[in-house]
Amino acid sequence: MNEGSSDIDETGAAGTSGRGPDSRAASRREASRRDRFRRVEPYLFVLPVTIGVVIVTGGAIAASFILGFTKWDLVTAPEWIGIANYREAFASDLFRQVLGNTFLYVLLSAPVSVACSLALALMVNRRIRGITAFRTLYFFPVVTSMVAVAVVWSWLYNPEFGLLNYLLRELGGIEGPRWLLSTDWAMPAIALMSIWKGIGYNMLIFLAGLQAIPETLYEAATIDGAGPVRRFTSVTLPMLSPTTFFVFVITLIGSFQIFEQTYTMTQGGPASSTLTLSYFIFQNAFQYFRMGYATAMAYILFAITLVVTIAQFRLQKRWVFYG
Amino acid sequence: MVERGGRGALAGRALLYLLLTAVAIVMIAPFVWMLVTSLTPASELYRYPPSLPDSLAPENYTEVFGRFPFGRFTVNSLTIAVLATVGTLASASLAAYAFARMEFRGRRALYWIVLATMMVPFQVTMVPIFFVIKSLGWIDSHAALIVPSYFGFGMGAFGVFLLRQFFATVPKEIEEAAVLDGASRFRIYWQILLPLATPALATLAVLTFMANWNDLLGPVLYLSSREKMTLTVGIAALQGGELAARIDLIMAGAVVSIVPILILYVIAQRYFIQGIGAGGVKG
Repeated sequence: MNEGSSDIDETGAAGTSGRGPDSRAASRREASRRDRFRRVEPYLFVLPVTIGVVIVTGGAIAASFILGFTKWDLVTAPEWIGIANYREAFASDLFRQVLGNTFLYVLLSAPVSVACSLALALMVNRRIRGITAFRTLYFFPVVTSMVAVAVVWSWLYNPEFGLLNYLLRELGGIEGPRWLLSTDWAMPAIALMSIWKGIGYNMLIFLAGLQAIPETLYEAATIDGAGPVRRFTSVTLPMLSPTTFFVFVITLIGSFQIFEQTYTMTQGGPASSTLTLSYFIFQNAFQYFRMGYATAMAYILFAITLVVTIAQFRLQKRWVFYG
Repeated sequence: MVERGGRGALAGRALLYLLLTAVAIVMIAPFVWMLVTSLTPASELYRYPPSLPDSLAPENYTEVFGRFPFGRFTVNSLTIAVLATVGTLASASLAAYAFARMEFRGRRALYWIVLATMMVPFQVTMVPIFFVIKSLGWIDSHAALIVPSYFGFGMGAFGVFLLRQFFATVPKEIEEAAVLDGASRFRIYWQILLPLATPALATLAVLTFMANWNDLLGPVLYLSSREKMTLTVGIAALQGGELAARIDLIMAGAVVSIVPILILYVIAQRYFIQGIGAGGVKG
């Protein structure tokens, strides 16, 4: 890249300072060379990203699709087995449980996360003393790694010595569940922690959306006699709906890919109750070396993500307001 | 949204502060407990009711560094995160500049393809990319986690989006003088656009650093020997290993892993917030 550009610097200098017929012809040649370079130059700028994102990632997306129809252990050559992987997946009770677990996680975490982060954003969207300190604190879990957060929550969730059950007993008189050790409570426990971890992120997106709503709209609504509730439903919610839509889309896409929580906290247990699609794909690929089966399931995950996203884009016409 | 005076408003404000504080406690308590546990002597870990330790045990930190190469893990995490961030900034800013300012065939299509890859779950490309990395001989090498970012992997697509948005807001007049002077596009990019884009670059840098520092799946897939591990896999290994009952050591490791990123966040908070806001409002 550097060589190319210094080349152009010289031709640029020659083109402007040239005198006489010889140098004019030379400068025309230089100019056409420069034109040719100008045409390829943009491709040099986008080359690295094109190699990585378009060629390798794009190629991987295609290769993965094909591998889904093979049996492959990463060492010997892939063997074509048609739709056997997909057939196996849908016939398998475990896979159905995995799908169920994944949807359960999404349903437990995504709506609550979006609702709570909107509530938080409304709370911190005020010019009052100390508000930035609160915003800063709420964002702490977002910047820390899921692993660090997961190990401390595992400890909080400890049924005998954990802080959470102690507080439930002392403050609420409730006998807490066995959390990560219980087939019923492990997934809700993971969802609760994930909501806690991600809430600050969505809060900031909502906050940016709220601050983009022109003050004049609120003033006009007030003049028209709208109270705070009416201002919220008639100004805030519709004006914020593109942001809400965006938050929903990214939260759902992210939730379907839940991996780190199960990897660190439960490894899919107890009794496969937290075995999620992503973790199951990872297990099949890198613990059982069933690459074909893993890629087929990755495509099922991809298809679910696409269908859910497309459905949201379809539905947005009914509730998203682009003013 | 600005509230006006009156006694009701005052009570409302008090209630608001109460709520804000309650939420803050919930958000911070796990970190406080992490720190407390990391300083609890092993003999006092498992007792009921959970309470503050009678005496502090800072030696937990020396123990975790002694029994596990946590110093090495920290250096590894830092090396990978810094070099991967440089790669992402370089590849994304070059492409973003071309997408924002240059005319070429296929520009729109290419830009949309780059953005569309953000939609594809990582699991879809995981196996073929693992095979590519393996074929390159980068298994158990930090190259597997660094070199791809120079080709737009990881945060690259987001970076292209973020920086293109920014470059598009820079008035064209700023470059026109340089073009008339015969400056090359690379020179304009390097000497004019990049310095102007410092805030956007800082935003991308902190988010990329954070993503790499916190990454678990990448190191899990590509690194196998203990000396190569990062802090995140180190902690996960501690949690799943023979020292699983030594919560104090695990928490000490976790504290070591989150302190640098929290410091970075507090210093560069503005950039974290801008990055997320930019992604959110534009959709």
